[in-house]
Amino acid sequence: MADKKKILIVDDEPDIVEWFSTLFEDNGYSTISARDGFDGFEKAESEMPDLITLDITMDKESGVKMYRKLHDSEKTNKIPVIMITGVDPQFKQFIESRKQVDPPAAYFEKPVDKDELLSKIKELIG
Amino acid sequence: MEHPRRRFSDRVFDAIPGYLTVQDRDFKVVEANDAFKRNFGDHTGKYCYQIYKHRPEKCEDCPVERTFRDGQKHRSDEIVTTIDGRKVNVLVYTTPIFDDDGKVTEVVEMSTDITEIKQIQKQFRDSQARYHQLFEESPCFISIQDESLNVVDANRLHRETFGVGYGDKCYTLYKHRDKECEPCTVRKTFKDGEARNHEEVVTSLSGEPINVLVHTAPLRNADGEIEKVIEMSTDITQLRQLQDKLSSVGLLIGSIAHGIKNLLNGLDGGIYLVNTGLKKDDRGRIDKGWEIALRNVRRIRSMVMDILYYAKDREPNWEEISTFEMVEDVCKIMKERAESQDIDFSYELDGEVGDFEADKQAIRSMLLNLIENSIDACRIDTNKSDHHLVVRLKGDADKVIFEIEDNGIGMDRETREKAFSLFFSSKGAGGTGLGLFIANKIAQAHGGSIDVQSEEGKGCHFIVELLRRRPDIEEIKENSEPTSGGE
Repeated sequence: MADKKKILIVDDEPDIVEWFSTLFEDNGYSTISARDGFDGFEKAESEMPDLITLDITMDKESGVKMYRKLHDSEKTNKIPVIMITGVDPQFKQFIESRKQVDPPAAYFEKPVDKDELLSKIKELIG
Repeated sequence: MEHPRRRFSDRVFDAIPGYLTVQDRDFKVVEANDAFKRNFGDHTGKYCYQIYKHRPEKCEDCPVERTFRDGQKHRSDEIVTTIDGRKVNVLVYTTPIFDDDGKVTEVVEMSTDITEIKQIQKQFRDSQARYHQLFEESPCFISIQDESLNVVDANRLHRETFGVGYGDKCYTLYKHRDKECEPCTVRKTFKDGEARNHEEVVTSLSGEPINVLVHTAPLRNADGEIEKVIEMSTDITQLRQLQDKLSSVGLLIGSIAHGIKNLLNGLDGGIYLVNTGLKKDDRGRIDKGWEIALRNVRRIRSMVMDILYYAKDREPNWEEISTFEMVEDVCKIMKERAESQDIDFSYELDGEVGDFEADKQAIRSMLLNLIENSIDACRIDTNKSDHHLVVRLKGDADKVIFEIEDNGIGMDRETREKAFSLFFSSKGAGGTGLGLFIANKIAQAHGGSIDVQSEEGKGCHFIVELLRRRPDIEEIKENSEPTSGGE
């Protein structure tokens, strides 16, 4: 098999990073992680992952800000992003109503259903 | 035979409803009409003052006497007593009768019964006094304003709360402004005569903000023109506070749901690691997963405890506590937890600190909250590899002092200022925004305080000071207004 597809996990909760990286690795992906939006954007640019899972509610730099930066950068704006949110579903409507930013590839609400998440990732990057 | 003309004037004389008498220079009643006779009896040989006033001599101020003296008509208000002892208010008119030489020979005195009018006047005065009392004692702020918005009258509560000097402008008294409010409802009411309601926040003499429901109504004169406007303001501050509290309960529920979602997510992760670890027979993975599961269950538990504490809003259950023992006990529990996260946990407790009076359960959960907060601040900090946490216990004659110091993520200024606000969390998904709020609330309920010194990236230092002896309850309540808001 060729190189494993690489997923960048951005979440400030170490338990979630631990979970997602184990889950993805178990399913044949390689993972890298970041604890905040700054770090996340840097890693996205330098490592060019195939997909990013992005937590919305982070303290230092929110997922929304990081998403906007990814979108504005030519280098990273093609990377599919799955947003993970604990915020209510209205958030989805809100984000989609912003014209200047395309909606992310998918949303998942916490608690995340791991099977659905995996099948979405498979659909997006194989 | 009587002269027919004379008989006619007699008949008129008798028909007059008032009490009519003719008196000579000695005030002897020489003639009287029927009405007089009916009410005051036979007047033959009697004097006016005997009949009307039941007195032995002439009244000091007598209108009949004045008419004899100056030949003019006079009037006066008198109270007279009828033959059966009834007091009657009368309005007295006196008219002179002249002889051919222009000398006053007799005086006609006509007294009209105005008892009813007097009664109505009295009732009017009484009701005016009652209305005034109602105005004065109303439990709302009432002012009457002229067209220039000068307060021309104000009731007691208004005067006491806003310190009225008559002629002060409404906006100066209520809002400490130099200019008229825009829009001004009193003005609108002056313009169209409509009563209006609106809500305002005004400021008392002592600078206290008061939420008021303002009602304005026109005061018209007899011609229907609006002369003044009355402004009645009801204090609804307590209502608004209650509303704030209710809406913060709504926020709380949202925040709880959000918190639980996150913790479930963590729990799912732990379960996944344990399950797959079992399948792969990977001991390391099982341990890791189990640790995550335990941590999230513990967080759910402490969240539930916090919610219960918040929901109860209870008074401390005061008891004498051995400070050292309690803190040592808490430290032992938390040391294990911190060390499982590779955080070096130490404590420096003064064994001589002695007892203090507090709610043991509450103080315990306050310390647990603070220490847990510090453990989390270390756990999510990726910039340092070595983390440590120190708990200290000290005391002086009046206070016991707890300190919790960590080298975790720390707080910037904004975070520090909002740290104790309800629902403010700097831990993203990890926090519910309840822990520090509750800790602070517990300290306040004990008449104490929590101070935080912190720098972003360097760590936090919490200092809790509690009084050794139970303070005055009222004083605590005044000093511990709910801190709400935050994020």
